[in-house]
Amino acid sequence: MTHEEIVEKLKSMIVGRLNLGISPDEIDKDQQLFASAEGGGLGLDSIEALEIVVGIEELFGVGVEYSEGVEQRFYSLNTMAEYIEELLEKGS
Amino acid sequence: MLTANQIAARLPHKYPMLLVDRILHIEQGIGGTGLKNVTMNESYFEGHFPGEPVMPGVLVIECMAQTAAAVFSYNREDGSQTNSGKRPRYLARIQSMKFRKKIIPGDQLIIEVRMIKQFGPMLKIFAEAQVHGEVVASGSLTFSG
Repeated sequence: MTHEEIVEKLKSMIVGRLNLGISPDEIDKDQQLFASAEGGGLGLDSIEALEIVVGIEELFGVGVEYSEGVEQRFYSLNTMAEYIEELLEKGS
Repeated sequence: MLTANQIAARLPHKYPMLLVDRILHIEQGIGGTGLKNVTMNESYFEGHFPGEPVMPGVLVIECMAQTAAAVFSYNREDGSQTNSGKRPRYLARIQSMKFRKKIIPGDQLIIEVRMIKQFGPMLKIFAEAQVHGEVVASGSLTFSG
């Protein structure tokens, strides 16, 4: 799976799971997911972060565990995809 | 198993909001089962509804939440209680909750909770309540620490 493919899968999963009511293409891969909409982000919160974690585990078959600084990996679709690539590599 | 007194010691909830009577079993970090006896003496039956006692759905959800709080407060491998079990976990989200049958005086609720994911202070579970082996309510709950 390429980086771009992971990003595309993440977009659809997030829009679907969180009922965002937007098209997956409306999320920029460098957009900050947890910043407010006024600040150019997507305005997601910690409850939605948990939902994304469950979604990633189901979609990619990897285990996502909480650790110090893990929030950084969820900054944008790009950083999240990099994180998933690492998890997939570890698992293979 | 946990008795009513042990549940009271473990949860911040007290009368009249301690709804779960017993914890039947705990599978550490995975799930467990709670029990709630519903009697005509419950004060809410006076008004919900006069002449037709039905347990409010929100209280079924509260039973599920309290079962989860009791079951998941022991999550250390050696069985000792973590600090997080002593402070309230707040209900943050209810998803796909479905109520299939009315719960009336005399019913015994068997509440099963199963962990979907714990991530830092966030916990998501699946909960199902049964009466006489029949599912009466089920859905997902998310708690924040």
